[in-house]
Amino acid sequence: MRSIYSRSGGWLKMSNRRPLLLGVISVAAALAAGGCDKSIGPFEVLPPLKPSSLEPTAGSWRMILLTGPSQIAVAAPTPVASAAYTAELDAIKASQANLTDAQRQAIAYWSGGGVMRWNQILRELVARYNLPPAPKDEGGYPVPDAENPFGDPAFPFANPVYAARAYSYVSAAQYDALKSAWYWKFQYNRLSPARNDNAVTALMPVTDLPSYPSEEAVISGVTVEMLKSLFPAAVEEVTLKAAEQRNAALWSGKATASDLAAGLALGKSVAAVFLARAGADGMRTAGGSPVLWKALADSATARGEVAWISRDIPARPPMLPLFGQVRAWNMTPADIVAERPPPPPSTGSQQMKDETAEVKQTVEHLTSAQLAIAQKWNDGAGTYSPPGHWNDVALEYVRDSKFSEVRAARVFALLNMAMHDAGVGCWEAKFHYFNPRPSQLDPTIKTEIGLPNFPSYTSGHSTFSAAAASVLSYLFPSGAASFASMRDEAGISRLYGGIHYRSDIEAGKLHGARIAGYTLTFAQSDGAP
Amino acid sequence: MMPKRAMRWLILVAICASSASAQTIDDGIMMPKRTLSVGVLYAHDSWDHYWEGSLKRTNGNIGTLTTESITWVGGYAITDRLGLIASLPYIRTHASQGVLHDLSGRQDLTLAAKFKLLSTGPGRYGTFSALAEATGAIPTSDYTPDFYPLSIGTAGRRATGHLMMNFHSNSAWFANASAAYMWCANVRLNRNSYYTDGQLYLTNQVVMPNVLDYTLTAGIDRGNWRIPVSLVQQRTLGGGDIRRQDMPFVSNRMDFVKLDGEVMYALPGNLSINLGAAHVLSGRNVGQSTTFTSGLFYAFHL
Repeated sequence: MRSIYSRSGGWLKMSNRRPLLLGVISVAAALAAGGCDKSIGPFEVLPPLKPSSLEPTAGSWRMILLTGPSQIAVAAPTPVASAAYTAELDAIKASQANLTDAQRQAIAYWSGGGVMRWNQILRELVARYNLPPAPKDEGGYPVPDAENPFGDPAFPFANPVYAARAYSYVSAAQYDALKSAWYWKFQYNRLSPARNDNAVTALMPVTDLPSYPSEEAVISGVTVEMLKSLFPAAVEEVTLKAAEQRNAALWSGKATASDLAAGLALGKSVAAVFLARAGADGMRTAGGSPVLWKALADSATARGEVAWISRDIPARPPMLPLFGQVRAWNMTPADIVAERPPPPPSTGSQQMKDETAEVKQTVEHLTSAQLAIAQKWNDGAGTYSPPGHWNDVALEYVRDSKFSEVRAARVFALLNMAMHDAGVGCWEAKFHYFNPRPSQLDPTIKTEIGLPNFPSYTSGHSTFSAAAASVLSYLFPSGAASFASMRDEAGISRLYGGIHYRSDIEAGKLHGARIAGYTLTFAQSDGAP
Repeated sequence: MMPKRAMRWLILVAICASSASAQTIDDGIMMPKRTLSVGVLYAHDSWDHYWEGSLKRTNGNIGTLTTESITWVGGYAITDRLGLIASLPYIRTHASQGVLHDLSGRQDLTLAAKFKLLSTGPGRYGTFSALAEATGAIPTSDYTPDFYPLSIGTAGRRATGHLMMNFHSNSAWFANASAAYMWCANVRLNRNSYYTDGQLYLTNQVVMPNVLDYTLTAGIDRGNWRIPVSLVQQRTLGGGDIRRQDMPFVSNRMDFVKLDGEVMYALPGNLSINLGAAHVLSGRNVGQSTTFTSGLFYAFHL
């Protein structure tokens, strides 16, 4: 309030009235009770991770892209008795003698687990970049450009399928890199600095897990290389985060400089394998062209159906119409076509009229509880997207299970591979059928959440959610009922939002569950106990 | 003269209650003891340009955003120096283009106590008075704050402290200066994550920035007529900008400078009417709205 007084000199003369004034103001504050404490968070608390198992066999678990755990060689470490290793220990001790508060905070942050921390960071990046380009003044829309990621529009537009693919690449690369790291760890069996020297203090939970190569460095190296490609404009912050993760491992007595160097090199080499695949998986051409967009509409019209049109103003090109051709993880292109759901009700059919009427009836008589569900699962522009929502769900199970880094990576890899494949399958169906949204067939239907700019059949959220629920139920059987309930709620939320017909949702859920089966087949034979 | 003044006071309160900031009282007038006033106010607010951060733009998926409100107001003067006011608006929003659904509902109950701190005069040139007001606002329905720009309000509790200085000349003109500080409680969403102000929040709670308002008013008060013109500035003390092509968010930094003019006329009997118009001159994360208001008020002397 002081600034108000100083702006109006005359008011200073009223200072003898201030006690009364303050009394009046405090009455108002009381009226709005509880408005003072605004603090929220902390969010998704990750206590220091002490894994429940060392996972000594993880080096033999089945790889996703690598040919085997030793595809990328890691040279033998110097012996613990060597002068070089002693010097490394001394460097740690010197660091520990002068830790700053910032360094201790970094240790506390990263002790929560590298895979989970990077999952949080990745969800933040998706939310930041999940915005469609703004229309140009002269009409039409600019295309996000990977060569100009800092421009307007920013690159990428991390829409649901871009996000599904990004989550899957990061998670799968982390998983292969960590399996390889585990192989070399137990090959060389060099324990952590805190185990090798009593004068080194363990500032993170330290186990008997060999520390060469460092899992923290492996995760930082593989993740930062993937993120630099997927979110190039975030290069500075992810590079700093990755360096902080490695430093925290060193300061905490968990890894020496050579543990870190070996891990970093391994992580980067594994990333190169995954980036080579990403560069040729079909994503670059998934946007299609005006000729393709017209051909999709013509194809629907030729079948006697009403073709989807964009309801954005001005009309926006469809979102990544060729994403259905992007390489899946555990399905072949033939599998994708074979699993395509049967056609939706014809746009001229009585069933479609009835389903359209159901959408209209629902949004016009929406209850507060239904709106809450529509908003809870909206996951639209500016959010971490539907696949991010399921990563959010999974993280708490991973954390509470005290999984090692490699087993945590397995959860996110299986979950996100299944959701990527669900995205590919769903997009293949959407652009094969090119079916209009409810608000196109009946323009009087208004939506309670943003209307996605791609065809209706099948529901992407339903497909993602059914795939996620299947994988998570396999990994965490005790949560199966909860996952099923969330899957159903996510699905029906699209009817409440006014953006999907019931048949979109039902077909999407069946489709997602079938697609998850391919990833589960991989999971059941991957050698992980 | 008293009923007229009393109703003017109520009109001003009502206009303030129905505005987004609910705190632009600009008048030094108090109702006489044991006066009860009731009124109803209709407001029509629309914009087709808005500021996305500092970028002024239109949006084809909104077209023109129209907000209509009907506000019921009641006031009672306990003493000549202390009055109580209550108001409750019903609000409806509508976008002329795009597919987004209208929203409507009963918004927030506002309760205020207004106290005359001091009054000097009438002196050689006129009367000077200073007033303080304390206001609390609380949502009365479970409307959503998570569908801006169509949400009908922030759905959060607020408390406002308000100071006013008024000078009324012995001839027909008057001037006011006022400032208000609004404390805003956290708001809850139906979702467990959101991104704003450069950060992902993994919670359903949103910290709402507090708000500072300044108002300067000058006007004429003659016979049955009173015509004030005000310049209102709202400064939100925190919050993020709307990102490029993003939807607005409840805790955005919503700033504006607005020019507001009113015409009030006391009819025979205890009735009074008012017409008003306001226009946002500049802003940040708000629409450049033009607002028309009309109100009808009646006073009882108990």
